[in-house]
Amino acid sequence: MAEQIRYEFSEHLIEQQYAAEQAMLAELEAGNYTVENPLVKYNLYLVNPLSAVVAFKTEEEVAVTVTVLGKKPEGNFYHTFEKAKTHVLPIVGLYNDYETKVEIRPYRGTPAIITIKTPDVYGGVSPIHSMETTPEYLQDNVILVSPAGEDLASAFDYAGDARWHMNIACVFDVKRLKNGNLIMGTHRLIQMPYYMSGLYEISPCGKIYKEYRLPGGYHHDEFEMEDGNLLVLTDDLTTDTVEDMCVLIDRKTGEILKTWDYKNCLQQGLGKSGSWSAHDWFHNNAVWYDKNTNSLTFSGRHMDSMINIDFETGDLNWIIGDPTGWPEEWVKKYFFTPVGDGEFEWQYEQHACVITPDGDVMCFDNHHYGSKEREHFLPAKDSYSRGVRYRINTKDMTIQQVWQYGKERGAEFFSPYICNVEYYNEGHYMIHSGGIAYLNEEPSEALGAFAKQQGGRIESITVEVCDGKKELELQVPGNYYRGEKLKLYADGNNLSLGKGEILGHMGITKEFDTEIPMDSCGELLPDSCDASIIEEFDRFTFKSRFEKGQLVMLLLEGENETHRYFISTTAVPYLAMCCGTFLDSDERNTRTFINKAGLSGTFDVRVIVDDKKYETGVKITC
Amino acid sequence: MLKEVNSEEFKAEVNKGLVLADFFSTTCGPCKMLSFVLKDVEKTFGDDVNIMKVDFDQNKDLTAEYGVTGYPTLVLLKDGVEVSRLTGLQQKPVIIKMIEENK
Repeated sequence: MAEQIRYEFSEHLIEQQYAAEQAMLAELEAGNYTVENPLVKYNLYLVNPLSAVVAFKTEEEVAVTVTVLGKKPEGNFYHTFEKAKTHVLPIVGLYNDYETKVEIRPYRGTPAIITIKTPDVYGGVSPIHSMETTPEYLQDNVILVSPAGEDLASAFDYAGDARWHMNIACVFDVKRLKNGNLIMGTHRLIQMPYYMSGLYEISPCGKIYKEYRLPGGYHHDEFEMEDGNLLVLTDDLTTDTVEDMCVLIDRKTGEILKTWDYKNCLQQGLGKSGSWSAHDWFHNNAVWYDKNTNSLTFSGRHMDSMINIDFETGDLNWIIGDPTGWPEEWVKKYFFTPVGDGEFEWQYEQHACVITPDGDVMCFDNHHYGSKEREHFLPAKDSYSRGVRYRINTKDMTIQQVWQYGKERGAEFFSPYICNVEYYNEGHYMIHSGGIAYLNEEPSEALGAFAKQQGGRIESITVEVCDGKKELELQVPGNYYRGEKLKLYADGNNLSLGKGEILGHMGITKEFDTEIPMDSCGELLPDSCDASIIEEFDRFTFKSRFEKGQLVMLLLEGENETHRYFISTTAVPYLAMCCGTFLDSDERNTRTFINKAGLSGTFDVRVIVDDKKYETGVKITC
Repeated sequence: MLKEVNSEEFKAEVNKGLVLADFFSTTCGPCKMLSFVLKDVEKTFGDDVNIMKVDFDQNKDLTAEYGVTGYPTLVLLKDGVEVSRLTGLQQKPVIIKMIEENK
């Protein structure tokens, strides 16, 4: 009999990347690498398989221009790096399953061309249906789509070729920071269905500079303030509600500077959308800071509302949404009245609120259910989604709809969840409908993740319009949380050497205080449980399979104390699944995440299953 | 006191003082855990609260009468009138608070 269940210690990616980087630098120092004969490290940072790092030395300080050569010249990506004698250059934008040529040209020097071969990172399945645009329009930008399901992040050029990919599930939003880095959710799940440990600040080539950990984790969205600090959507996972908090974190230390708990300015249970639940009563999926009014706007899917609060006081300023069913005093005080002769519709279960430079409010109106009254809910086949722009007057509390795109496309553009709009300039927008799903070739009532589990088909359509003309349409298989247009090489930082930082704190995992009195049976957890423990420096994950209805409790038993964690073996119905990436096709499989925060000592991990307390043979030291 | 009852036994006692009805299923892990929690709650309140466990699947008349659609569901009744309700597995302090607020 085995003495313990499967056990593995997993080094943090920052540690793994630092080791790889140090080995590369040692190899560079030991060798004689030149422009003509550079050291080439494919996917040095392990997470972007369409990247490499090229390193060499020159006798004199010289600037170097890297050109990643496209299949056609319009597909070239290039960047000039500052002058140096030692050159460590990120190569991004390699083609998938291809020998990409890369030109390295020293300033006024002779260029060298190297070839970097990539494997097929998509396993023979095309990641794209179609891209309709022109190289003149998209230029050297790519359209990046971030995960909402099992399809991971990718970015596509004007020709529809994948030029960027991540092989880890960094879900939800991806944004470019002012310093050139990207910010995205970590791939460290802390609680189902999609609460992550925090955010990665990362280079496009995959080097993680910082992990910002949050006690309540990260979900859906973040926003960079003018001073570089970050607004992050989070939870208090020790309470009974989720997705109703935002924090401001210090960019240098990762510490929380300010917290907004929407329970302080809203009343739970008011303005219920069709997907409302007591647990997820607001379902905050976006945050936007407006400097002009020093206010925060939040999108709350399960209130069919965008709310605006004062940054300093947290007081509620206004609510954009259908007032049907709200108490009269709330309607009078906070809601807008539609005016004007143009078309007007409220948004339902919207995502991605945006405040334009002139104060208009945009969002992706999923228009899920299309009503607050159950008897008027729209079926999926009659539904539509759209990007919409509202003009609001906060003096007389009136509202006009000044633009929309998508309603005219009907159900083919309908996403009941996720998605975003981007404002580039007046009349120039992205509308990303990333949650389209079909079941039996009919628009699906089930959200994408569930439709796919039932054998359905899912896809995303990303559109860019400029002055009423469609300039781009990307169609990809899979549901994607958001679309983002960016250049792979940034004007700012592209690669900094050195070890990344892990900032902030994990929270204390909620325990169960009732004891199940029982002695260990001395047996190892049965093989049928297929149990494993993956330990990290700040937590561990217990994976195991149990039958529905079994009583299961994980125990950390130390010399002087015991910590108890209840594991539910009951299927959880989710009314929102903005990220189905971590759903398991076998409902018997459980994942339990225990943070080391708040624990001290060495503990035996034991598991109660019904009337037996089993050994795992694993000890965890905190 | 804590005991499992059938429909008749429940109806005979529900109008007497404070009753905590636990609608459970034998096929539900959280329900099994809640049983241990309720044993702890019983220690706190003794005979002041009559904790009656009602099998969800065996007592459809009661689930219909009290509008219980899932398990576990805790319904607190005072002299036969519902005064509070909790759905899903709850920890002991939450249940004690609910009872204290309605004593």
